[in-house]
Amino acid sequence: MIDFASVQVGDRMPALTKPPVDQIQLVKYAGASGDFNPLHYMDEVGKAAGQGGVIAHGMLIMGFIGQAVTDWVPNRSLKSLKVRFARPTMLGDIITVTGRVTDKKSQGGREYICVEVAAADQRCEVKVTGSFEAWLP
Amino acid sequence: MEDRSALVGTRLPSYSFTVERGKIKEFAAAIGDLKEGYLNPVKAARAGYADVIAPPTYATVISHWGGMGFHELCDHLKLNRVMILHGGQEFEYLGDIAAGDVITVETLLSGYAEKKNMHVLTMDSVYLNQRGEEVLRSRSLMLEMK
Repeated sequence: MIDFASVQVGDRMPALTKPPVDQIQLVKYAGASGDFNPLHYMDEVGKAAGQGGVIAHGMLIMGFIGQAVTDWVPNRSLKSLKVRFARPTMLGDIITVTGRVTDKKSQGGREYICVEVAAADQRCEVKVTGSFEAWLP
Repeated sequence: MEDRSALVGTRLPSYSFTVERGKIKEFAAAIGDLKEGYLNPVKAARAGYADVIAPPTYATVISHWGGMGFHELCDHLKLNRVMILHGGQEFEYLGDIAAGDVITVETLLSGYAEKKNMHVLTMDSVYLNQRGEEVLRSRSLMLEMK
């Protein structure tokens, strides 16, 4: 398990590359999350919204980020996770989550790291940007 | 154009949601994140959790299945649901959320802004467990494209 002393500013979080986003995943995610916005399963709604078709739930991509983060730090150490949805993820996109340590801080006698994260597709187009903080022993 | 700035400072109806093992598993599987802590109560207990735990973005399940659905929320806020995009999401983790927990959510409409090509609505929620402990805070930015 990683500890505060061993992590340095500039360190990279291990990257996570997900399988291509497909329609089955969006259906599963709609049911699991309860987000039945038709933008995520009806092509004509995606087109009407100017997206060119169905787009993935932003929260699914944030879920990928959450997965990458908790592959690296324990769930219980997570202090915060914040994202901005920059561009839509389309069917077939292959998302890779990356991260880089930007700061090391302490609060109330406990120490935590600040990490910037991004999710980008196979063309390196950034879909989601954000950051997380994690308490480390 | 509907003036929604009057919504700022108002609250959505409070609601409660029981966290269940099966729903955690379904959500973890949809993301493709199959950590033992989400699936296996024995392994979760060994790691010091009360039961299988919720993945970091699980609050989306709580809000959609426990609170207003997307259509109902858009109607309540008089938003054009076809033009809604999720602009941003923030979570602050204050405690565990595990299967068996009953989470009560209070949501405040904390901001509304008119931008050139969109309206931005900010919603802040606090999540309390059955012992009254605050376990999570969230902020959601919803964009209504013009």
